[in-house]
Amino acid sequence: MSELSNITEGAGLMTNGQPDSPKTQRRMSLPKNWGRCLLILVPYIWLLVLFLVPFIIVVKISLSDTAIAMPPYVPTFAWSEGWTGFWNMISGWDLENFTWLMEDDLYWKSYLSSLEIAVVSSLLALLIGYPIAYSMARAPSEWRPTLLMLIILPFWTSFLIRVYAWIGILKKEGLLNMALMHLGIIDDPLTILNTDIAVYIGIVYSYLPFMVLPLYSSLEKMDDSLLEAATDLGCSPFKAFWLITVPLSMPGILAGCFLVFIPAVGEFVIPDLLGGSNTLMIGKTLWVEFFSNRDWPVASAVAVILLILLVVPIVLFQRQQEKQQEKGA
Amino acid sequence: MNGSPNSGSGCNFAPWSDPKEKPLIRFDAVTKKFGDFVAIDNLNLKIYEREFFALLGPSGCGKTTLMRMLAGFEQPTMGSIMMRQQHLTDIPPHRRPVNMMFQSYALFPHMSVEQNIAFGLKQEKRPKAEIKDRVEEMIALVQLQAFAKRKPHQLSGGQRQRVALARSLAKKPKLLLLDEPLGALDRKLREQTQFELMTIQEKLGTTFVIVTHDQEEAMTVASRIALMDQGKLVQVSTPREIYETPNSRYVADFLGDVNIIGGHILGPDDKEDDIVQLAWHEDYAPLRIRLPQPVSFPEKGTERWVAVRPEKVRITKEYPTDTHNILKGKVLDIAYTGNISTYHVETEDGQIIKSQEANLEHLHRRAITWDDEVYVHWRAGGCVLLER
Repeated sequence: MSELSNITEGAGLMTNGQPDSPKTQRRMSLPKNWGRCLLILVPYIWLLVLFLVPFIIVVKISLSDTAIAMPPYVPTFAWSEGWTGFWNMISGWDLENFTWLMEDDLYWKSYLSSLEIAVVSSLLALLIGYPIAYSMARAPSEWRPTLLMLIILPFWTSFLIRVYAWIGILKKEGLLNMALMHLGIIDDPLTILNTDIAVYIGIVYSYLPFMVLPLYSSLEKMDDSLLEAATDLGCSPFKAFWLITVPLSMPGILAGCFLVFIPAVGEFVIPDLLGGSNTLMIGKTLWVEFFSNRDWPVASAVAVILLILLVVPIVLFQRQQEKQQEKGA
Repeated sequence: MNGSPNSGSGCNFAPWSDPKEKPLIRFDAVTKKFGDFVAIDNLNLKIYEREFFALLGPSGCGKTTLMRMLAGFEQPTMGSIMMRQQHLTDIPPHRRPVNMMFQSYALFPHMSVEQNIAFGLKQEKRPKAEIKDRVEEMIALVQLQAFAKRKPHQLSGGQRQRVALARSLAKKPKLLLLDEPLGALDRKLREQTQFELMTIQEKLGTTFVIVTHDQEEAMTVASRIALMDQGKLVQVSTPREIYETPNSRYVADFLGDVNIIGGHILGPDDKEDDIVQLAWHEDYAPLRIRLPQPVSFPEKGTERWVAVRPEKVRITKEYPTDTHNILKGKVLDIAYTGNISTYHVETEDGQIIKSQEANLEHLHRRAITWDDEVYVHWRAGGCVLLER
């Protein structure tokens, strides 16, 4: 009987008494934190396993030497030798491949040409994407979901097939040349396929949605009365666009340019299918190194340098996103 | 709320009643249609220099369209808008000597307070030193010296409102348009800002046109009020006139509280010849209404309405003397709002009459309470006769 009353007393204490007792609070908060930790841990473990570990392997291979063997590089780690094997492997590493990248001008020329193609493509995508995003943001609100859908629609077809389709359009006897000749604009077919122009067309076409979507989201948020206020204060409509719309859509412009630039630098499929033998892009160089020359260590070194080159714009992009978030808060 | 004109040179400021005075703005037969919808219907209006002119009306009445036509954001479908000798309709918005303060303030979020205010001046390519002086002057006018370098998102609602005002005044417009300028402010701040607006307007002598749906705001700030309904002007008068002598039931009902009783003209009163009698119920004595000078009696038998403001209706338990209109009834409801109490009295035939009394004494000493038999009464001069 006395035990029973003790229990009920205790229960009463738990339910209606002292909510700020430290014991109850800890008991309450512990599982909550656990859940939170788990939630954050899962994606981090995912990244660790699927990004960091493979990358470490790539770095390791880039420090090795090429060999006619399986796998095609030395030194390799021999499990049977234990610690000594591990030390042997590390002592076999060197930076030879990286110095090779500096010595042979093919590599830095490919990097530069990739950067150039990526920068020019980003600017072209901006020039084409801005009017599209602008007119979408200005369209009647009942049309906007449809217009947005149309921008995303190409993603429903395989990227490879869409790039392939451009061959059919751009080749000598392709749709574009046929149409232009038919209209009497040109007499002889233009050589577009297998040139840098085809690469630009392919990149701009493929990555345009990544430019349009962030631009649209920043332009759509803009209050129309800001433009009215600018005209009211003496701006011509064109000047109001430069002084108000462009600066206010800057976050969208930057996000769009980064989203086009970053994948374009390492692009392989487009220069391989549309570009010519003269088109120099680092993705292609890497592929040749890996599959034609079977030089895994040099290919890995190329990949490591590419990643380091890309980290700079990615960090800049992150910074800019953070700044934007702070401003919004 | 005595409605004394507060613009320009004190109490005698009434250019609208001077036939020699030329208006600053003239609307001539202006119609604006959006598709089939008629937003402004054949409207004529004159606004004079130094006026603080209020456009008042329910939402969708066309008051914002009227203002946007002045700013140049909308073009009239028919008719013309003149500013002095100039056709305003021919001038694009960015060349008009008209500036607007937007309801949302429309401050440029990427510019500081100073840059926002300087924006309009920079478009005119004025010399740098002049712009700097003018910006300083405007910042001082709205007392934002400590906030000049801040961005709009670092300001409170009241401060943003001041920046918007300063920006719209910086170019010394001939006409300043204010679109619900105080709508986003809380009540205390709004009242305070109303007086500041009046002070600034008096100081600068700029013509202000304000759009509002808040009748108290219009009454407080305006020299004249234009009450709009469905694209038409219903009445354009000083706050005092529009409140005391509304021209229709719509106006009387829109501005403040009112009791309206319909009836038929019976004829002149036998004692006082400027009082008309209105038969409203066969069992009760006719109501008596004093007509304005010069007296013109409406024809016997025509339908008319009497409008009387609740604050002009007295309520007593004893049968009153020395008054013109007396109705007997029972207290149905009492609305206590602190400074005043509003009594809803139901007369024997079911009519509800509202009467307001100032709460001069403490609440528990109030003599009249629910279900009391009372008399509500008002003098013939306290009510108006309405044609429609």
